[in-house]
This record gives sequence, structure tokens and C-alpha cells, in this order.
Amino acid sequence: MNSQEHPLLRLHLALFLLSAGLIGFQLEQMQLLALLQWHHFAYLVISVALLGFGAAGTCLALFREALLRHLPLLLPLLLYGCALTMAIALPVLQGTVQNFDIGLLLVDPLQAGMLLLAQAVCLLIFFLGALPLGLLFVSHSSRIGSLYCANLVGSGVGAIGTVVLMYFLLPQQLPGLTALLCWLAGLLVTPARRFWPLLAAALSLSLIAAAVTHSPALKPSQYKAISRTLDLPGARIVQNQPGPQGLIQMVTAPNLRYAPGLSLTYSEEVPETRSALFLNGDWFGAVLKNGGPLLDASVSALPYTIIGKPARVLILEAGAGTDVIQAVHRGAARVTAVEQQRKALELAMADYGQEVAGPLARSSVRFAYLSPRTWLALDRELYDLITLPVVGTFGGSAGLFAMQEQYLLTRESFAAIWDHLSPDGLLRVSSWLDSPARNPLRLAATLAETLAAVGVDPAGHVAAVQGWDMITFVVKRSPFTPAEIEQIRAFCKQLQFDPVLPPGVQPEERQRYHFSADHAFPEHLAGLFSERQRQRLYQRYPFNLQPVSDNRPFFSQFLRWRDIPRIFRLMGERALPFLELGYVLVLLSFGQMIAAAGLLILVPLLRLGLPGEKGVPRWIIPYFSGLGLGYMFFEIVMIHELVLYFGHPIIAAAAVIGSLLFFSGLGSLSSARLPALFSGHALAAALITVLLLLYNFLLQPLLQQTIALPDAWKTLVFLALIAPPAFVMGMPFPLGLARLAESNKSQAAWAWGINGSVSVVSTGLAAIIAVELGYSAALLLAAAAYGLAAASGYADGKTA
Amino acid sequence: MVELQLKGRDIDDPSALRAMATVPRHRFVPERLQSQAYLDFPLPIGFGQTISQPYIVAYMTQAIHPEPHHRVLEIGTGSGYQAAVLAELVEQVFTIEIVPELAESAGRRLRGLGYDKVVTREGDGYHGWPDAAPFDAIVVTAAAEFIPPPLLQQLKDGGRMIIPVGSPFHVQHLTLVEKKEGRITTRLLLPVRFVPLRRAK
Repeated sequence: MNSQEHPLLRLHLALFLLSAGLIGFQLEQMQLLALLQWHHFAYLVISVALLGFGAAGTCLALFREALLRHLPLLLPLLLYGCALTMAIALPVLQGTVQNFDIGLLLVDPLQAGMLLLAQAVCLLIFFLGALPLGLLFVSHSSRIGSLYCANLVGSGVGAIGTVVLMYFLLPQQLPGLTALLCWLAGLLVTPARRFWPLLAAALSLSLIAAAVTHSPALKPSQYKAISRTLDLPGARIVQNQPGPQGLIQMVTAPNLRYAPGLSLTYSEEVPETRSALFLNGDWFGAVLKNGGPLLDASVSALPYTIIGKPARVLILEAGAGTDVIQAVHRGAARVTAVEQQRKALELAMADYGQEVAGPLARSSVRFAYLSPRTWLALDRELYDLITLPVVGTFGGSAGLFAMQEQYLLTRESFAAIWDHLSPDGLLRVSSWLDSPARNPLRLAATLAETLAAVGVDPAGHVAAVQGWDMITFVVKRSPFTPAEIEQIRAFCKQLQFDPVLPPGVQPEERQRYHFSADHAFPEHLAGLFSERQRQRLYQRYPFNLQPVSDNRPFFSQFLRWRDIPRIFRLMGERALPFLELGYVLVLLSFGQMIAAAGLLILVPLLRLGLPGEKGVPRWIIPYFSGLGLGYMFFEIVMIHELVLYFGHPIIAAAAVIGSLLFFSGLGSLSSARLPALFSGHALAAALITVLLLLYNFLLQPLLQQTIALPDAWKTLVFLALIAPPAFVMGMPFPLGLARLAESNKSQAAWAWGINGSVSVVSTGLAAIIAVELGYSAALLLAAAAYGLAAASGYADGKTA
Repeated sequence: MVELQLKGRDIDDPSALRAMATVPRHRFVPERLQSQAYLDFPLPIGFGQTISQPYIVAYMTQAIHPEPHHRVLEIGTGSGYQAAVLAELVEQVFTIEIVPELAESAGRRLRGLGYDKVVTREGDGYHGWPDAAPFDAIVVTAAAEFIPPPLLQQLKDGGRMIIPVGSPFHVQHLTLVEKKEGRITTRLLLPVRFVPLRRAK
């Protein structure tokens, strides 16, 4: 094909649209799967997308001549195919995804089949999109610079544009739009007066239109909280609010009641809720009807029995406003409610309406719609009471949230909260009880270490009260007085709770009403407040109880490899649920991706001969795998840092993916124009190594120093930070390819293949490294990977 | 099932074992899963609900100390299996299910199998069954974040209530509620052979 057939502008535009569509589709799938199932499927989406790109590269290497021969016909057909599969994937697959039972994955082969089918369809879409990209590059190699630029700018615009659209469109409406982008790309490269491509255009457009207009309502897994609520008679969704952070839905159900931590002595009617809110199908909060008396009789009322009417209350992650209602009901003079999910809190407050309008005004409530960590960084006020949301899930989650980053529960977060307490201020944090105990013990360990780190003896400052299903901790900035300890005892006696932790509480007081399965639980809890016993318990407990940090913010991840045999010994065949499904899924998908990358990318390339044979040099293995691993690890680390910095996972992912691709693209373009002195492939990789090592020390402090700036300034800081390494990261790949340019095509194919396969497995590997060693280790490994590439490139230079 | 999954673990109440051996579990699971009915695993019955694994059903049955003269209330009929097991042991079982489809199919199934001792009702379990109260035992198979006050009021003095707590495929623990002379105590029971950890000295 030549430029006359497809004028250059149309080619570039097609490439731009296709790139925007592919990246947008990737982000949409991450959000859709978080809604239909759970968020950890995001890892699978990224891996499968990269696998599709890798497999397309291999296909191109093997069948290049044949593909190029039929290019005028093939190009539009592939694009229409990609667009069509994007549009119909959801209607076709929804049943599969919805009926997929994660709990049955390990025992029912049908479940594995469903997961594989969903992955295969996703793989097909990315393969159909990636192949035309590669074909365009190959067929117009003389224009590679500007085409690459169109590709990267398209990706960047696609990422940002999709995030913007997520504010306005429901998750099921977005794939139709991205499908249209790919369809338009197809139209731009469709030769005039050719019957088959035009027929394909018409057919695919009608099918896309049909899929979009008949897109079924989303039905999350039957095990998600929203599905179970909607099964109640008379339940209905009354509000749908889309957004990049997820779909917020408000449900009214005549029989829905909510009273967590309620005393068993409470004998009044528990009123039905006004409504319940869900975020991505998961429980977000309830809008209570006359909630004051209920909240007075729950473990969460503990701090108010000590403090009376607090002057200033800070509510972190206010959710649907229950803690706000409690604070105003208890006569707080001034309440600050911090919540990232603005729409959800606004909906809840509107639903409360007149019932709380008076108290809200009296208590002078102000709302801050940002992440709690950002608020803690920018706020300078001191508070008499700070409350956190309940930790864990009622009934446990079988480890589904093991991979969730929870920055509000890290050491750094509790240290910041401590700094915001007034001299006699209180922090309240509750946890659902689990068995064997993990959440309450890790929470206690975090509180103990936070206090120890600021030179305070934790034993005199922490009280805890236990109900039948929940435990509430209260941390006081000054030591508890004997009078306050008596108040806690009286509170417990009245509501039949157990005082597990006030200083001076006798062992027999700790389990009067509520007995744990593990009789040693109260002792373990108390022991965590003594340095020596804490360390011993860390060592001997069959789960990891050590506090988490911003570097490894996985509060719900308790599994240690070395404890697995012991857990099986203790629990026999019922140990399986304690293996933490979220993490197990990442491990399984990592293994699956190794196999898939090998089978779909590397094995087919054996036809071209192995590296080291037939003129394919050995250095390309460490060089191109180092580049693949280093790039992906840097991307994952940056997304992690940005989640804390900007407070939104999808925005972080879009910003990092978009800007990394954009600046790398500029780097690639520039690499061809650099003076010979700077253009060595080893030198570029070495430069990145140095930069990443530097970032290992500079990145976190810089982000922490600027986290309180307005968003616009933060965006500038982020761009200034990501641009230098991203720019240089764009260079080693084309420079390495250029080094191979003069030899046969197998070398380039192997370079693409190795890079692609390592990228595919790096996503899962980075997550595993983050859990086991922390994100800073992942950044160091990224530096080491580029170091390996530099060394092998240098060795190549010496042998040349 | 009884020999392999229940005896030899901590299910030793002969009447509970007999009831488990009598009730045809395969009649309470969806047709496509009948071949797996006697495996020690919970199975989906639709609407986000499961039929608990045999071991948990036996454990809960044993935990409430059923006697032939007992009247038992069950909140959350589900497939009707737990009610059928209880019906083998006690005088009468009252069971409430809030999901109309499940209530209807469980009622039909129990009647078809001749479980006349089981009285079913579609409705909100929050209110319990005041007309039939008080109960010697209450089984709450659809646990909520709080225990409805009416249920505690309808539990006889000396009565026992059992609540499985966990996700659909994994009962994490069972809460046993006991009411004695106005004092309500709870005890978490772990349905595994969990050896309490030695003290960290």
C-alpha cells in the first residue's frame, strides 16, 4: 500500500482514533469488571491487553509478507472487526461475567472456563486492534516518526478523554463509543469503490448501533451487595451517578435496616433505612431514618461517652454520612466531613433532607470532597474527635480485598491523624470481628506502633470495647484518667459490651458478654501494647499482623508464605478461604500469563530460529526483557504513587498511562535525531537506571511535600516528575531495534516478542513484588532491569 | 457424607447425625448441581444465596441442642434444607424467607417431601414470628450486621440462637447467642479444628 491510496492525514487520523479507542476500552473494561465482579480483575485486563499486542507482533513477524499483500482489504476489515467485538463484548459476555462465581473457581471447572472465555474475547479485541497498528507502522516505515507520534498522542487523549466521559456516561454506554472510534478509523482506511470493505463497514455499523441501543442493564454478580439488596421485594434503584471512581447507585428497599455494632440490649424498633448507597455494586453506606438513638446504643458511641459534646469533629471517609449524623446528634459544635465520593455524600445528605437540616446547621457542618490523606496533608486544624470508617467487612471477605491499597490505614496515615488531635483529643476506629482475628489485631498493632513512634507509652492511651460483631478502639492524645476509665466501664455495663482494653481493666472483665473463638484474643490484643510481646506475637501468630505502610498499603493482606503449612495444620481442609482470593487470583493470572505469553508470543517465533542461532544475537534477550520489565514496573509504581497523590485509582491509571506513553513517544521520536554520542542503546538504558535510582530517594518526599497543593499545581508537579524518565524510556527500544536494523527480520521479531512477553508477565509480577517487598522494591527492580539492559547493550558494543 | 464429612470431625450428636443421614440433600440443590450435592461444599441456589455445606448445617443443628419438644424459628429458608434437617429433630419449625421466589420454591419442595412439621412464610425476618413465639431456638441463616431486637424478644429464656457469619462461600464463624435471666451473651464458634494459639509470653 502506498500513501496515495490512503492520504497521510487520513492514516494519521485513523491511527490516532484507533489508539484512543484501544486505551479507552482498556480503562472501561477495568471499571466494568470492578462493577460486575471486583476490582482485582484490573490486573487481568492490563495483562490481556498487553498479550493481545504481543500476539499481534508475533503474527506480524511470521506472516508479514502475506499480511502486507492483502493490506488494503485487511486493514479496514480488522478495524471493523475490532470495533464490532468491542461493542458486542458486553452484551454477549455479561451473562458469563455475571454468573462467574469466584468462590467456586477452585472447585468448578465451569468457572475457570467462563473466566477463560471472557479473557479470550478480550484478547481477541486487543489483537484485532493491535495488528492494524503494527501493519500501519510496517507498511509506512518511512513515516514511522509521525505515525508513532499519532499513536501516542491518540493513547494519551484516549486515556484522559475516557476519564472525562466516565463522568457523564454509564459504564455500559462507553464501549459503544470507543467502538465507534475504531469503526471511524476503519472508515478512514477503507478504499473507495471496494465492495467487501464497504459492506463490512455498513454491517458492522448496524451491529454496533444495535448493540449500543439494546445494551442490557448491567447486572453485577449475584454475590455483590447491590444484587442481594435488589433481591428484596420492592427494592429499586432510584439514582445512577456515573464517575471515573465508579458507579454510584442509590437503592430504596422497604425491608432494609442497618444498625452495625448495635447493643443486644436495644429493644426499640430498628427503623427501615431511607435508602442505601453502593459504589461499583459494593456497599457504601445507608441513609438512616431517625438514626440518633440507634447510634447511641452502638459501640461507635464510645468516644462520646468520654468526651461529651466535642467542639470540633473530623470525619474521615464520611461515606453516606452516618458519622456526621452521630456527631450532630451528640451536639458537636463544628463538624468537618471528608469524603472523596462527592456525589454519594451529596445524594445521602439530600435524602436526609429536613430531618437533619436543623442539627446540621447548628453543628456548622462543612464538607471537603477529597481524599482523607490529602485533607490531612493540607489541614492545620486540631480536633477533639477524629473518626475513621469501620475496618474490614461484616462476615469477612475471604481475602477478596487483599490487593486493595488502603492508604487511610497505614502507619503514615495514623501518624498524621495523631498530629491532628487536640491535647485531649480522641481518635475512634472500629473493626468488624473476624475469626481467626486479623483485622482488629493489625489495627491494634498499628495504633501501638504509631504511639510508640511518637514516644508515647501506648498502654495508657488506647481503650477498646467489644460488642457481638464489632470492636471499637479509642485513642486519646493524653492518658486516660481514672474517671474516664470508669465512664467506659459504665458504658459497657449499660449496653452489655466488654471493655477489652482500657488501662487497668481486669482479665475477667474482658469477656463477660462476648466470647471469642480464640480464647487468647483479649490477651493478644492487650499484648500488642507491650513492645516485647508485640514482636513475639508478630513472629508466632499464623498471620502477618504487622502494620502496613504507604510502601505496602495492603491492610487486608495477612497471608505469609511461611505460614501456609501451619494454617493447613490448624484448619485442615477449611484453610482454603484464608489463602486470600484476591492475592490467589493475581498469582494464578501471573502463572497463566507466563504460559500465554510463551505460547502466543514466543513459541511461534521459534520458526525463525532461536536467539544465538541464525544470526540472532544473544544480547537481545537480557536487553529487551530488561526494557519490558523496567518500563512496566515503573508504570505500576507511578500509578501506585499517584493513587495516593490524586486520590483516585482510575484517574491515576489514566494520567500515568497517558503521560508515560506521550513522553516516551517524544523520546522515541527524538532518539533518531540525537547526535551519535548520545544515541547508544546502552547509554540510554544506563541513564534511565540512574534516574530511577534517584527517584527511589526523591519521588516520595517530593510528592509528600506537594500533596496539599491545588490539583492544577499537582498536575504540573506530576508532569515534571514523569516527563524526564518517560522521555528517556522511549529511546532504548528504537535504538536497540536500529542496532538490529541491518540484519534479518528475525532479530526484530525476537526483540518485539521478548519485550512483549516480559511486559505481559510484569504487570502481575509488579503486584506480587509490591505485596511481598513494597513499591520501593519494585522501583529498585525497575532500575535493576534497565541496568541489565544497559550492561547487555554495553557488552554488545564491546563485541561489535 | 455422614461417615466421611461429619463423624470424626466434631459432629458427635447422634440425633443430628441421624437427621443429616435422613434428609435427601440432592432434592434441595439445583438440578444441574445434583451430582455435587453431597460434597462438603456450599452450592449456589440463586439470588446470591447458597445451600450451606453439610458440615455447617450439622454444626448449626448441633449447636442449638435440639430436643423433640422444641419449637424452632428459622430466618432465611433458602432451599429449605436446614428446615428439613431441623424437622427431623424437633416438634415444629417455622421458617421465613424474604425472597419471594425462594420462599415459594422451598415451600413447594418441603411440602412435596412431606415435611409437615415445617411452616413456611414469605416475609421480612426482622419481625420474627410473634404468633408462634416464644422459641426454644432460632437459626438465622441470613445474617445481618445486627440482631433484630424482636428475635431476641421471641427467644425463650434459656434459648439459643445461632448465626453463621461470612461470605456466601465461606462461613467464617458462627455466633451462638444465649439468653439467660435477662443477660444476653454471645460466643464465636469457629467451624474448624482450630487449636487456640499459645500465649505470647
